[in-house]
Amino acid sequence: MHTTCLHNLMAAASTDKAAPAAEVASAAQPALLAVATIGVGILVVGMLLCLYRMIRGPHLADRVLAGDTMAMLVAGLVVVLAVKYSTSMFYDAALVVAILGFASTVAFSQYMGAKHKTSDRPDPADTAEVGP
Amino acid sequence: MTMQLFFDILAIGFLLAGLFFMFVGALGVVRLPDAYHRLHAASKCSTLGLMGLVAAAMCHVGTLDVMTKSIAVVLFAFVATPVGSHMLAKAAHRDGAEQWKDTLSDELAEDKAKSAEDDEAPGSKKKARHRAA
Repeated sequence: MHTTCLHNLMAAASTDKAAPAAEVASAAQPALLAVATIGVGILVVGMLLCLYRMIRGPHLADRVLAGDTMAMLVAGLVVVLAVKYSTSMFYDAALVVAILGFASTVAFSQYMGAKHKTSDRPDPADTAEVGP
Repeated sequence: MTMQLFFDILAIGFLLAGLFFMFVGALGVVRLPDAYHRLHAASKCSTLGLMGLVAAAMCHVGTLDVMTKSIAVVLFAFVATPVGSHMLAKAAHRDGAEQWKDTLSDELAEDKAKSAEDDEAPGSKKKARHRAA
Protein backbone atom coordinates (compact mmCIF):
# COMPACT_ATOMS: atom_id res chain seq x y z
CA MET A 1 0.00 0.00 0.00
CA HIS A 2 2.77 2.35 0.92
CA THR A 3 4.74 1.35 -2.11
CA THR A 4 1.81 1.96 -4.45
CA CYS A 5 1.25 5.38 -2.89
CA LEU A 6 4.89 6.16 -3.34
CA HIS A 7 4.76 4.90 -6.90
CA ASN A 8 1.76 7.07 -7.71
CA LEU A 9 3.47 10.04 -6.16
CA MET A 10 6.60 9.44 -8.17
CA ALA A 11 4.62 8.98 -11.36
CA ALA A 12 2.72 12.22 -10.73
CA ALA A 13 5.93 14.06 -9.97
CA SER A 14 7.63 12.71 -13.06
CA THR A 15 4.71 13.61 -15.32
CA ASP A 16 4.56 17.05 -13.74
CA LYS A 17 8.21 17.50 -14.42
CA ALA A 18 8.18 15.96 -17.88
CA ALA A 19 5.03 17.53 -19.26
CA PRO A 20 6.15 21.16 -19.52
CA ALA A 21 9.67 20.26 -20.56
CA ALA A 22 8.80 18.46 -23.77
CA GLU A 23 5.39 17.17 -24.71
CA VAL A 24 6.38 13.56 -25.27
CA ALA A 25 3.64 11.98 -23.18
CA SER A 26 0.55 11.75 -25.35
CA ALA A 27 -2.53 9.69 -24.65
CA ALA A 28 -1.37 6.92 -26.97
CA GLN A 29 2.01 6.55 -25.26
CA PRO A 30 1.09 3.54 -23.03
CA ALA A 31 -0.42 1.68 -25.98
CA LEU A 32 2.70 2.37 -28.01
CA LEU A 33 4.90 1.11 -25.20
CA ALA A 34 2.77 -2.03 -24.87
CA VAL A 35 2.94 -2.70 -28.62
CA ALA A 36 6.71 -2.20 -28.58
CA THR A 37 7.11 -4.56 -25.63
CA ILE A 38 5.01 -7.22 -27.32
CA GLY A 39 6.93 -6.59 -30.54
CA VAL A 40 10.22 -7.42 -28.85
CA GLY A 41 8.73 -10.79 -27.93
CA ILE A 42 7.41 -11.35 -31.46
CA LEU A 43 10.80 -10.58 -32.98
CA VAL A 44 12.52 -12.92 -30.53
CA VAL A 45 10.09 -15.70 -31.50
CA GLY A 46 10.89 -14.99 -35.16
CA MET A 47 14.59 -15.24 -34.37
CA LEU A 48 14.02 -18.62 -32.75
CA LEU A 49 12.16 -19.80 -35.88
CA CYS A 50 15.09 -18.65 -38.03
CA LEU A 51 17.49 -20.41 -35.67
CA TYR A 52 15.50 -23.61 -36.14
CA ARG A 53 15.83 -23.29 -39.90
CA MET A 54 19.51 -22.48 -39.57
CA ILE A 55 20.15 -25.63 -37.55
CA ARG A 56 17.84 -27.90 -39.49
CA GLY A 57 18.24 -26.55 -43.06
CA PRO A 58 19.00 -29.28 -45.54
CA HIS A 59 21.04 -27.09 -47.86
CA LEU A 60 23.61 -24.37 -47.26
CA ALA A 61 21.33 -21.84 -48.95
CA ASP A 62 18.67 -22.47 -46.29
CA ARG A 63 21.13 -21.70 -43.52
CA VAL A 64 22.36 -18.58 -45.29
CA LEU A 65 18.89 -17.21 -45.88
CA ALA A 66 17.93 -17.98 -42.29
CA GLY A 67 20.96 -15.95 -41.21
CA ASP A 68 19.97 -13.10 -43.51
CA THR A 69 16.43 -13.08 -42.13
CA MET A 70 17.83 -13.17 -38.62
CA ALA A 71 20.00 -10.15 -39.38
CA MET A 72 16.93 -8.29 -40.62
CA LEU A 73 15.08 -9.31 -37.44
CA VAL A 74 17.93 -8.00 -35.31
CA ALA A 75 17.84 -4.70 -37.19
CA GLY A 76 14.09 -4.54 -36.61
CA LEU A 77 14.62 -5.34 -32.92
CA VAL A 78 17.06 -2.46 -32.62
CA VAL A 79 14.51 -0.15 -34.23
CA VAL A 80 11.74 -1.37 -31.91
CA LEU A 81 13.96 -0.76 -28.90
CA ALA A 82 14.63 2.74 -30.19
CA VAL A 83 10.86 3.27 -30.32
CA LYS A 84 10.37 1.79 -26.86
CA TYR A 85 12.98 3.95 -25.13
CA SER A 86 12.35 6.83 -27.58
CA THR A 87 16.02 7.44 -28.08
CA SER A 88 18.30 7.41 -31.10
CA MET A 89 21.29 5.70 -29.58
CA PHE A 90 20.77 2.33 -31.26
CA TYR A 91 20.20 3.44 -34.81
CA ASP A 92 23.79 2.98 -35.93
CA ALA A 93 23.52 -0.61 -34.74
CA ALA A 94 20.53 -1.17 -37.05
CA LEU A 95 22.43 0.15 -40.05
CA VAL A 96 25.53 -1.88 -39.19
CA VAL A 97 23.56 -5.10 -38.72
CA ALA A 98 21.73 -4.62 -42.03
CA ILE A 99 25.01 -4.03 -43.87
CA LEU A 100 26.65 -7.03 -42.21
CA GLY A 101 23.73 -9.28 -43.14
CA PHE A 102 23.89 -8.22 -46.77
CA ALA A 103 27.67 -8.65 -46.89
CA SER A 104 27.52 -12.13 -45.36
CA THR A 105 24.78 -13.17 -47.79
CA VAL A 106 26.85 -12.01 -50.76
CA ALA A 107 29.97 -13.72 -49.41
CA PHE A 108 28.18 -17.02 -48.83
CA SER A 109 26.53 -16.99 -52.25
CA GLN A 110 29.90 -16.33 -53.87
CA TYR A 111 31.27 -19.24 -51.87
CA MET A 112 28.54 -21.57 -53.05
CA GLY A 113 28.88 -20.58 -56.69
CA ALA A 114 32.66 -20.75 -56.64
CA LYS A 115 32.65 -24.15 -54.96
CA HIS A 116 30.43 -25.57 -57.66
CA LYS A 117 32.34 -23.90 -60.49
CA THR A 118 35.68 -25.37 -59.52
CA SER A 119 34.31 -28.85 -58.86
CA ASP A 120 31.98 -29.29 -61.83
CA ARG A 121 33.81 -27.55 -64.63
CA PRO A 122 37.46 -28.47 -64.52
CA ASP A 123 38.15 -27.20 -68.04
CA PRO A 124 37.56 -23.49 -68.77
CA ALA A 125 37.22 -24.15 -72.50
CA ASP A 126 33.40 -24.19 -72.67
CA THR A 127 33.04 -21.07 -70.59
CA ALA A 128 35.49 -19.17 -72.81
CA GLU A 129 33.23 -19.53 -75.84
CA VAL A 130 31.66 -16.10 -75.58
CA GLY A 131 33.62 -13.76 -77.81
CA PRO A 132 33.01 -10.69 -79.88
CA MET B 1 -0.16 17.56 -28.02
CA THR B 2 -2.75 16.48 -30.51
CA MET B 3 -0.06 16.34 -33.16
CA GLN B 4 1.95 14.03 -30.91
CA LEU B 5 -1.14 11.88 -30.37
CA PHE B 6 -1.68 11.61 -34.11
CA PHE B 7 1.93 10.60 -34.70
CA ASP B 8 1.83 8.05 -31.87
CA ILE B 9 -1.29 6.40 -33.31
CA LEU B 10 0.41 6.37 -36.71
CA ALA B 11 3.46 4.80 -35.09
CA ILE B 12 1.30 2.08 -33.52
CA GLY B 13 -0.14 1.28 -36.93
CA PHE B 14 3.26 1.14 -38.60
CA LEU B 15 4.67 -0.92 -35.75
CA LEU B 16 1.87 -3.49 -35.98
CA ALA B 17 2.27 -3.75 -39.76
CA GLY B 18 6.03 -4.14 -39.50
CA LEU B 19 5.78 -6.76 -36.79
CA PHE B 20 3.21 -8.67 -38.83
CA PHE B 21 5.45 -8.76 -41.88
CA MET B 22 8.54 -9.67 -39.84
CA PHE B 23 6.76 -12.55 -38.15
CA VAL B 24 5.23 -13.81 -41.38
CA GLY B 25 8.68 -13.74 -42.98
CA ALA B 26 10.20 -15.77 -40.17
CA LEU B 27 7.26 -18.19 -40.27
CA GLY B 28 7.71 -18.59 -44.02
CA VAL B 29 11.39 -19.34 -43.54
CA VAL B 30 10.37 -22.26 -41.35
CA ARG B 31 7.24 -23.51 -43.06
CA LEU B 32 7.78 -23.23 -46.83
CA PRO B 33 8.90 -26.35 -48.68
CA ASP B 34 12.17 -25.53 -50.45
CA ALA B 35 14.95 -22.98 -50.55
CA TYR B 36 13.45 -20.82 -53.32
CA HIS B 37 10.09 -20.49 -51.60
CA ARG B 38 11.91 -19.61 -48.39
CA LEU B 39 13.91 -16.93 -50.21
CA HIS B 40 10.67 -15.47 -51.54
CA ALA B 41 9.18 -15.19 -48.05
CA ALA B 42 12.38 -13.97 -46.41
CA SER B 43 13.32 -11.20 -48.81
CA LYS B 44 9.90 -9.63 -49.33
CA CYS B 45 8.70 -9.83 -45.77
CA SER B 46 11.91 -8.68 -44.16
CA THR B 47 12.08 -5.67 -46.49
CA LEU B 48 8.48 -4.65 -45.81
CA GLY B 49 8.77 -5.38 -42.09
CA LEU B 50 11.91 -3.32 -41.66
CA MET B 51 10.26 -0.49 -43.57
CA GLY B 52 7.26 -0.56 -41.23
CA LEU B 53 9.34 -0.59 -38.06
CA VAL B 54 11.56 2.22 -39.33
CA ALA B 55 8.49 4.27 -40.26
CA ALA B 56 7.19 3.78 -36.73
CA ALA B 57 10.49 5.03 -35.32
CA MET B 58 10.36 8.03 -37.64
CA CYS B 59 6.85 8.86 -36.44
CA HIS B 60 7.56 8.40 -32.76
CA VAL B 61 11.09 9.73 -32.19
CA GLY B 62 11.28 12.11 -35.10
CA THR B 63 14.56 13.90 -34.47
CA LEU B 64 16.90 14.78 -37.29
CA ASP B 65 19.44 12.00 -36.82
CA VAL B 66 16.71 9.37 -36.55
CA MET B 67 15.18 10.69 -39.78
CA THR B 68 18.46 10.56 -41.72
CA LYS B 69 19.46 7.15 -40.41
CA SER B 70 15.94 5.80 -41.09
CA ILE B 71 16.10 6.96 -44.68
CA ALA B 72 19.56 5.40 -44.99
CA VAL B 73 18.36 2.07 -43.54
CA VAL B 74 15.27 1.94 -45.77
CA LEU B 75 17.18 2.82 -48.93
CA PHE B 76 19.88 0.29 -48.13
CA ALA B 77 17.36 -2.47 -47.36
CA PHE B 78 15.41 -1.77 -50.54
CA VAL B 79 18.54 -1.94 -52.67
CA ALA B 80 20.46 -4.68 -50.90
CA THR B 81 17.83 -7.30 -50.06
CA PRO B 82 16.67 -8.09 -53.64
CA VAL B 83 20.28 -8.13 -54.84
CA GLY B 84 21.35 -10.46 -52.06
CA SER B 85 18.42 -12.84 -52.46
CA HIS B 86 18.92 -12.94 -56.23
CA MET B 87 22.58 -13.85 -55.79
CA LEU B 88 21.67 -16.45 -53.19
CA ALA B 89 18.99 -18.02 -55.41
CA LYS B 90 21.37 -18.19 -58.35
CA ALA B 91 24.11 -19.74 -56.24
CA ALA B 92 21.67 -22.25 -54.74
CA HIS B 93 20.48 -23.22 -58.21
CA ARG B 94 24.04 -23.63 -59.41
CA ASP B 95 24.89 -25.64 -56.32
CA GLY B 96 21.93 -27.94 -56.98
CA ALA B 97 19.53 -27.22 -54.13
CA GLU B 98 16.62 -29.56 -54.60
CA GLN B 99 13.26 -28.14 -55.57
CA TRP B 100 9.81 -28.79 -54.30
CA LYS B 101 8.18 -31.88 -55.79
CA ASP B 102 5.32 -29.86 -57.31
CA THR B 103 7.47 -27.23 -58.99
CA LEU B 104 6.11 -26.71 -62.49
CA SER B 105 9.06 -25.42 -64.49
CA ASP B 106 12.76 -24.73 -64.14
CA GLU B 107 13.54 -22.29 -66.90
CA LEU B 108 17.08 -21.54 -65.79
CA ALA B 109 18.01 -25.22 -66.10
CA GLU B 110 16.30 -25.39 -69.51
CA ASP B 111 18.22 -22.33 -70.68
CA LYS B 112 21.46 -23.75 -69.41
CA ALA B 113 20.87 -27.08 -71.14
CA LYS B 114 19.91 -25.34 -74.36
CA SER B 115 22.97 -23.11 -74.39
CA ALA B 116 25.17 -26.09 -73.53
CA GLU B 117 23.86 -28.12 -76.45
CA ASP B 118 24.23 -25.08 -78.69
CA ASP B 119 27.81 -24.95 -77.61
CA GLU B 120 28.22 -28.66 -78.19
CA ALA B 121 26.86 -29.48 -81.64
CA PRO B 122 26.40 -26.47 -83.94
CA GLY B 123 28.66 -24.12 -82.05
CA SER B 124 31.35 -23.97 -84.68
CA LYS B 125 28.80 -23.23 -87.38
CA LYS B 126 27.25 -20.45 -85.32
CA LYS B 127 30.63 -18.98 -84.60
CA ALA B 128 31.51 -19.16 -88.29
CA ARG B 129 28.29 -17.37 -89.14
CA HIS B 130 29.05 -14.73 -86.56
CA ARG B 131 32.46 -14.20 -88.03
CA ALA B 132 31.08 -14.01 -91.55
CA ALA B 133 28.44 -11.47 -90.55
